[in-house]
Amino acid sequence: MKETSEPMVYVIDDDRQIRDGLHSLIRSVGLRVETFGSAQEFLDAKRPDAPACLILDVRMPGLSGFDLQQTLKSAGLHLPIIFMTGHGDIPMSVRAMKEGAHEFLTKPVRGQDLLEAVQKAIAADTRARRERAALDEIRARFQSLTPRENEVMNLVVAGLLNKQIADELGMSELTVKTHRAHVMEKTAADSLAHLVRMAERLRVDAQK
Amino acid sequence: MIAGRPGPLWLRSLLQYVLALGLSVLALWLSIVLQTRFGNPFWFFFAIAVIASTWLGGRGPGWVAVCFSTLAALYFFIPPYRSWHLSLEDVPFFLTFALCQVGSNWLVAWRKETEDAVRRARDDLEIRVEERTIELKQANDALVTQMEEQRRTQEALLAARTELARVARITTIGELTASIAHEVNQPIAAVVANADACVAWLTRSVPDLAEARAAAERAVQGATRASEVIVRIRSMIVKAAPEKGPVQLNGVIEETAALASGQAERNTVNFSLALDPALPPVFGDSIQLQQVILNLAVNGIEAMSAVNGRPRILAVRSEAPAPGQVQVSVQDTGTGVKPENLGRLFEPFFTTRPNGIGMGLSISRSIIEAHGGKLWVESDGSSGSIFRFTLPAAKEAAP
Repeated sequence: MKETSEPMVYVIDDDRQIRDGLHSLIRSVGLRVETFGSAQEFLDAKRPDAPACLILDVRMPGLSGFDLQQTLKSAGLHLPIIFMTGHGDIPMSVRAMKEGAHEFLTKPVRGQDLLEAVQKAIAADTRARRERAALDEIRARFQSLTPRENEVMNLVVAGLLNKQIADELGMSELTVKTHRAHVMEKTAADSLAHLVRMAERLRVDAQK
Repeated sequence: MIAGRPGPLWLRSLLQYVLALGLSVLALWLSIVLQTRFGNPFWFFFAIAVIASTWLGGRGPGWVAVCFSTLAALYFFIPPYRSWHLSLEDVPFFLTFALCQVGSNWLVAWRKETEDAVRRARDDLEIRVEERTIELKQANDALVTQMEEQRRTQEALLAARTELARVARITTIGELTASIAHEVNQPIAAVVANADACVAWLTRSVPDLAEARAAAERAVQGATRASEVIVRIRSMIVKAAPEKGPVQLNGVIEETAALASGQAERNTVNFSLALDPALPPVFGDSIQLQQVILNLAVNGIEAMSAVNGRPRILAVRSEAPAPGQVQVSVQDTGTGVKPENLGRLFEPFFTTRPNGIGMGLSISRSIIEAHGGKLWVESDGSSGSIFRFTLPAAKEAAP
């Protein structure tokens, strides 16, 4: 488990010599790297669960770099992408960046530029993964609430007093207090403010 | 011509009658004057008055003169004088006189009317001819205008065609350049990646020589591949159009000058062509040879873009320096080629321009050599350069 969480760099380029060169270059700074000759090979491969980034050639036979970017996006796969192109015109780079590309480099790419971009992309992915993990944790905790507890939680977060909640749900104030204690315990909320913050994060994420 | 005189018709008629009367009175007066001197009356004055009146005034005034002269003769010249009385023996004489007068009037009027008719007919004809002439002139003018328009249309068509050919050529060159750029860029990217990797392996705290060596070897492979791409492109360009035939280089030079004229104008460069009219044809591909001349011309124009203070002239010459040989030279008044660059000028990718790809001269030399000729440069490094190429003249028997 420890080994798989080491950062991973994927390289997709249809030119074998470029692939080998980038493979060697990235390995030389101690990063794990895996290369693919086409976008499809990459999609078919099993990928370890680790912070990663993708170095992607724009111009490739079959699925192009932009096509793969779209495919990954619609599949909900979050991977920072560093594009490489032989003729990087401005409209093309603007389009790639708008679609969420991490970096856009022109071939031939200087090793130093590429490694810097890789480090930044992996750092960004690490942060994003930590964020997603935290969110998943919160979501799991909230999902462990019973339907009744969930109702009570929603009203508590909406700012209602116990007495008002009891009236709203047609139960005694004592029962509300019991449910509320369970909610705080199951969601591991330190305070009412903490609970509200967590509920808000889930709501924002659900809207995305 | 009375008929031709301007003025209202009635006034003219009145004048004619007055004239007839006047002439008759004059005749009477002359007759009386002459009778007092010579004794015998001179009747013929009346005849002249009648003839003149009829001739100038027509039938009506003629009749006036006839009546007047007849009455005047009766009164003044037939005994008894100064009386209207006519004795019986004088009747034949008087009638003869009157009939002569009437006859004169009738004859002259007839003659006059015939002549008028002829004149009118002639005038009509003249008018009609004039009208037709005007019509013909208009038709001719319209035709000339149409021809002028057609000539202008043809010129515009020719200009459009030339422009189209130029654009097509530039597009082709542009596409070729893009394709070359990509083909060559890939192996170069590989070379850079592997060379960077090699350096990275060597600069680790514990250098990994095996990895560095592998990366260096891959870099060499990449460079080899790049050079293979160049060779392939070069042979592709040389073989692209194997349509060979007799080529009149003077025509190709003129055409090329026309193609490059736009660029020359933008750079305020003047073309100067000195073409040997007796230049023998060469055997080859006119498109490729044009490509060479165009390349040399465009290079020359661009070489002069930084020149100020002296004329920018691109001189293209054709001559036959030896039997069976043709030489073309393209001379510019630019800044020349630096001595250290002279040897590398024809190497692929050697360029002194910020945006050049350095293929033009390399390809040009390949084309000239494929045609059995030589391409070289002469430059003193300051006042411009001359690019010359020679080609063997086509043999007489060449197809």
